[in-house]
Amino acid sequence: MLQFLSKLAPRSPWIYRINAGSCNGCDVEMATTALIPRYDVERLGCKYCGSPRHADVVLISGPLTLRVRDKVLRVYNEIPHPKVTVAVGVCPVSGGCFRDGYSVGADIDHYIPLDVIVPGCPPRPQAIMEGVLKAVEVWRARLEEGICSHS
Amino acid sequence: MLPFLKIMLRNLILGPSTDPFPFAPAKTHKNFRGCAVFDPEKCILCGICRHVCAAGAIQLRVSEDGSGMQYMLWHNSCVFCGMCAHYCPTGALTMSDNWHLVHTGAEMFSNCISSFIPFGECAQCGAKIQPRTQAIIDKIGERSPERFLLCPKCKRESIVRNVAKVNHLPAEENP
Repeated sequence: MLQFLSKLAPRSPWIYRINAGSCNGCDVEMATTALIPRYDVERLGCKYCGSPRHADVVLISGPLTLRVRDKVLRVYNEIPHPKVTVAVGVCPVSGGCFRDGYSVGADIDHYIPLDVIVPGCPPRPQAIMEGVLKAVEVWRARLEEGICSHS
Repeated sequence: MLPFLKIMLRNLILGPSTDPFPFAPAKTHKNFRGCAVFDPEKCILCGICRHVCAAGAIQLRVSEDGSGMQYMLWHNSCVFCGMCAHYCPTGALTMSDNWHLVHTGAEMFSNCISSFIPFGECAQCGAKIQPRTQAIIDKIGERSPERFLLCPKCKRESIVRNVAKVNHLPAEENP
């Protein structure tokens, strides 16, 4: 039964967004990807959900400022395994333009394992969709292996 | 009367507005700024790209044996502003319209341009100078092509020799 469900599940990944102190550029692109019929990520079975407990794929944007760091980690730990993390934009990986800012500590990479990276400032909606598709592949592999990424 | 008929007819003619992206190639505008492309044949190691890079994505390091410089551009830090391509005097850096940069976390640090650029040599004394590539010779080296290939010291001596010749001064035997 569980095998059967884990075969079906990757057809409809639920997406959750975390804004880790982003400038909102990437968030606008993520909203565009979901809401505008021109891009329409729901064609691929994806759905943006409001609760971290329902999520499968996490989209993280922003350089993880000190103010939101603990909150982001708390929300991230509420997401059930196996979860796939997608870094949207260059900020989560390297800090981008904010890399040496007074409110930016270490990159997200030091706290949360990033599985898929979508570089761009901001990435275009098609690139985000490409990233989600790649994340679904990673997620499918994880479901088949039954392994968990460490939190 | 019945204004929706007009909209319906227009939608029937124009077809769906959804971009068929994952199943068909997406349209990319010709001026779209994607990832930077580097041509090591044209680079003269002036470092203006590193100077203007807002995101600090470009690094130039002297190699361990001192024979050249290692040029690194990390795409995961680049914000595609295009300033490096704008200021590059030889056109070694250009912005392509490639936006297919999605990669897994394991490739995080390998997603970069990395190339070794050897130093040039002074045509007279063999000292190490910035590489004199054809791109910069065509641009600013045409006025005095021989002098352009010299190191600063040899260039100064050559200029003094030239001035002495023009002014008919006696050339010194041991300068």
